[in-house]
Amino acid sequence: MYISDKNKILHTYDAIVIGSGISGGWAAMELCKKGMKTLLLERGRDVKHLVDYPTANLNPWDFKAGMNNTIQDREANPVQSSAYSPADKHFYVSDAEHPYIQEKPFNWYRGYQVGGRSLTWGRQCYRLSDLDFEANHRDGTGVDWPIRYKDLEQWYSYAESFIGVSGNRENLGHLPDGEFLTPMELNCIEKHLGDSIRKNDEHRLLTIARVANLTRGWDNRGPCQNRNLCTRGCPFGGYFSSNSSTIPAAMATGNLTLRPFSIVTEILFDEQKQKARGVRVIDTLTSEVHEFYAKIVFVNASTIATAGLLLNSVSSRFPDGFGNGSGQIGHNLMDHHSSAGAYGVHDQFTDQYYKGRRPCGFLIPRYRNLHPGEKLNFKRGYNIQGHGERQEWMDKAQSIDGFGEDFKAGLTTPGPWTVWMAGWGECLPYFDNQVTPDPSKKDKWGQPLLKIDFTFRENEHKMMTDIEQTSARMLDQAGFKHIESFNYNKPGGSTIHEMGTARMGNDPKTSVLNKFNQMHEAKNVFITDGSCMTSSACQNPSLTYMALTARASQFAYEQLKKGEL
Amino acid sequence: MDRRSYLKSVAGLAVAGTASFSVFKWFSIHRKVVPAEFSSKHELLAELAEMIIPQTDTPGAKAANVHEYIIAVMVDCTSVKEQNKFIDGIAELEEYAAREYGKEFLKCNPAERKAVLKQMAKNSSGYSYKILNKINNKIFGKPFFLKLRELTVEGYCQSRLGATQGLAYDYIPGTFEACIPIRPNQRSWATK
Repeated sequence: MYISDKNKILHTYDAIVIGSGISGGWAAMELCKKGMKTLLLERGRDVKHLVDYPTANLNPWDFKAGMNNTIQDREANPVQSSAYSPADKHFYVSDAEHPYIQEKPFNWYRGYQVGGRSLTWGRQCYRLSDLDFEANHRDGTGVDWPIRYKDLEQWYSYAESFIGVSGNRENLGHLPDGEFLTPMELNCIEKHLGDSIRKNDEHRLLTIARVANLTRGWDNRGPCQNRNLCTRGCPFGGYFSSNSSTIPAAMATGNLTLRPFSIVTEILFDEQKQKARGVRVIDTLTSEVHEFYAKIVFVNASTIATAGLLLNSVSSRFPDGFGNGSGQIGHNLMDHHSSAGAYGVHDQFTDQYYKGRRPCGFLIPRYRNLHPGEKLNFKRGYNIQGHGERQEWMDKAQSIDGFGEDFKAGLTTPGPWTVWMAGWGECLPYFDNQVTPDPSKKDKWGQPLLKIDFTFRENEHKMMTDIEQTSARMLDQAGFKHIESFNYNKPGGSTIHEMGTARMGNDPKTSVLNKFNQMHEAKNVFITDGSCMTSSACQNPSLTYMALTARASQFAYEQLKKGEL
Repeated sequence: MDRRSYLKSVAGLAVAGTASFSVFKWFSIHRKVVPAEFSSKHELLAELAEMIIPQTDTPGAKAANVHEYIIAVMVDCTSVKEQNKFIDGIAELEEYAAREYGKEFLKCNPAERKAVLKQMAKNSSGYSYKILNKINNKIFGKPFFLKLRELTVEGYCQSRLGATQGLAYDYIPGTFEACIPIRPNQRSWATK
């Protein structure tokens, strides 16, 4: 493609950010606030806060067939339709239009739009600790993280203070407290379970989830109205998304250019300067190809897509993919497992109820392998996430018999209290859990399909067994009846925490990024989405991406000022 | 019975169940259904839904137009296999009414109708092994009465009348109150 000098100037920015989800939104905001003219590229359509939440104010009866997806839809979109409903389908891609190859079953859930999956995320915000940052080093798995908790601590605070996180301080070494708004409240069955856990095991506790839902007005947003309809987009700005928060803040600086409908197909390498000079983009509306240039590039396309983009960006310097001298790009793919847990029914507290729909459950922080001496048959650990509630009609329809007046009376009155809980578990970085482009199969824009080859291994399966046992035991000790432990055996991807395909590390021979998320082999490229993760820990990872992104943005800006980039 | 022999016997039963499954039956549950087959059952479905969730001091399924919900889900969101299972269930119900009372279901009196639906519920009770029901439901679809009741419940509890009058509906709760004493005659929340 030929670009005249004039157009080249028009196509030149200080920074380019690829992807507008949770981490991309942060990169754009940070760079814009520092005065850099920033181009934010998003492959999907625009979604404007408030304006583009078409289902946010609909009642249940506004959906003709309830929350059931149509048969045609389920057949066309077998993966995505297992996550969406008619209420939030518009924030998921179509499998038919965006295919990928499952070497083994893997649910790759995606939202191609401005804001990405920040519109539909679970909003849980937990810090990692040195138990996590030192884990690889301690047990010799993968490579060592190039950072420790002290490197990230202030950036966690910075991110939390901006997004607004409700939570309770618990003073745990392995799950550090943050800058919290007033916590949401546990209900009586959750408090009862918490009391029992505290009484029976001094190392365990049950606390309210830490979530990016606002318990008071914050930064012109919220508070949360306790509707629990977050995945439709919140008309009250009650939770953090790129759309409600970082992108408007970036826009307000006057430095942001947002370009939706732009698939980045390649990062362009300048052989003379040995750094990236920009990106190549296909406009999905016109199919035109454009090039955009910048001094720095932030890659935030989301783990699997980021790996694909790097592997597809080949040049004489990088025949195996952009910045892939280590051969690690695409490898070490991780996802938390969240299949195993337990469920129980309690026959007390029938005179207690609640009002409002709290948008989160409870958390039992990690209690396994906290100390080097523990003799368990698996490495690392898990936390338990769950919620307590009284059985409502969805549950009672399965548990009561007959029909007629008695059935109706049973159906429409609150049932017994129940608790459902499951382990969110750490997945080790296995080299051969990987993403590779398959050039023999292309999508409608001529891009190679990505092939995902991922399985959970022995360590994860042993951990799942332990989760089933300990969850059921905690319920048993708290007097629950009809306890059923379970393992849904969901395939990889199901927790939607993909990580690790361009890991951070100290050694360029074994890692892709340095301790500032800067590519070892192309100093002006920064990657701060989930692909940068060196290990997965067991905490929900988004808060860490935000902290790393803010930190990397500051570093990039300073380096640029010093003339180092 | 230990776990291994239990699983063996379950597997054996499942094989026996599938083997007795005739070619005719296979064609019968995979035949193509036209939406009109459901629409023509409009009145019958309205009556059946009302029998499951009747008008009391709050509206019943008929007033909440639950039959329209059932037809919408059946036509748009249900596999051919399950559609046929459902149509066959309706036919079975009508045949049973004709055999027992010599008239159409809709012409039966309330007591007769109740007896017919009870019989359908009995036919749906399935095996005593939970896992066999799972296998059976997977191969043949959910039994008619259970599917009918499930759709009636979904349709009613998500309808305007059902949610706001049959249940407690709170569109914008504002606050969350974690533990409050239950009120007399407290209805369940319509959404969670």
